[in-house]
Amino acid sequence: MNEPTSDVDSRDRMLLQRMAMGDRAALETLYRAYHGGLCRFLSRLTRRADLIEEIVNDCFWIAWRKAGSFHGDSRVSTWIMGIAYRCGLKALRQRGDEPVDDYALREGRGPSHDPDADRELRDWLAEGLKHLSADQRIVVELVYGVGNSLDEVAAIMQAPVGTVKARLFHARVKLRNVLPTLAGDPPTQRENRS
Amino acid sequence: MTIQTSSDKDCARAWKSMPWVLQATAPPEERDWLMHHLAQCEACSGEFAQQSRLRSALSLPTDVPVDADRGLKRLLERLAAPEPEAAPIRPWSSANRLTRALAAAVLLQAIGIGALGVWLWSDQAPHYRTLSQPALLEPVGALRVVPAAGMKLADWNKLLHDLGLRVIDGPNDAGAYAVVPAGPASSSVSALRRLRADRDIRLAEPVDNTP
Repeated sequence: MNEPTSDVDSRDRMLLQRMAMGDRAALETLYRAYHGGLCRFLSRLTRRADLIEEIVNDCFWIAWRKAGSFHGDSRVSTWIMGIAYRCGLKALRQRGDEPVDDYALREGRGPSHDPDADRELRDWLAEGLKHLSADQRIVVELVYGVGNSLDEVAAIMQAPVGTVKARLFHARVKLRNVLPTLAGDPPTQRENRS
Repeated sequence: MTIQTSSDKDCARAWKSMPWVLQATAPPEERDWLMHHLAQCEACSGEFAQQSRLRSALSLPTDVPVDADRGLKRLLERLAAPEPEAAPIRPWSSANRLTRALAAAVLLQAIGIGALGVWLWSDQAPHYRTLSQPALLEPVGALRVVPAAGMKLADWNKLLHDLGLRVIDGPNDAGAYAVVPAGPASSSVSALRRLRADRDIRLAEPVDNTP
């Protein structure tokens, strides 16, 4: 069962305060708390495990140094996600890579012990995400996967809320048209909604 | 059997509210309204089911294997390393290289401008001299000549031309000109003699350069 958001944020703020005083145990706790979510988030940008690890570590290296300057304008999770997003884009730029459009490459890379149902769901999702741009995948991940609001997504991506809304809208329209087909259902008739 | 009674406006509202109802961040009344709408609209109900499945799929852990323990160990090693090595900004990143190149270009330009300034400053002396400037030392063979006040300019010019002389200085405060033989063919001694014989020349004498 998930903790209430406010409890999680209070815990994270305490950890940041301890980090600002040089407490590495607090850093370890925060690192482990966010590792899974960040890896999943960053896997929408790149499928390379080594690069994801590097981006996560760049993110926490910055969080360690900037912990004292966190003003609490947003949730800690939003702050960390924003750092991770910018580190991810920077890492891809430095390597001349583009955000992944290779969701097909994921076959055979996933853990083989996945339950069949999960594997089927992953394949369905991966096929759908192939039709989205990297920015649209990130918005979908943040809204549906992480549970961020539009304002939070805008803060993470440093984009206007209107832009985030448009990305989410177009991503949903694309997914609505391809996902039913992937599941063997006929696509929904309506193409656009305001 | 589902009865389709919804308007497009209701479906548009349902479309907008689905993500936030799924997140459980929508107001309770909005969630209740959506549930009521879904019970009446087959298309929106199908869309909501798909959105629910999407959320479930996106909530699964990543299938890219990243070892948290190994990553944390590397991070702590990085923090323990000396500062320059731990810096995430690579010292020779492309942006940094560009900055250094620009700085070098600016430095080179500054040196060039400085050198040009020094060269121009040292080359300030003009290659001409005005008559108001102090007189130069006259060359050997120069004569000082004072024409009469009433001598016409045409006569003065003709005399100088006939004697092969040219003016190099003057007139000074006393109205004297310094003249020299224009070429090797003319002689300052004979020119002096003829100048003194001319009724329009009040004074003609060799210039003495000795102090």
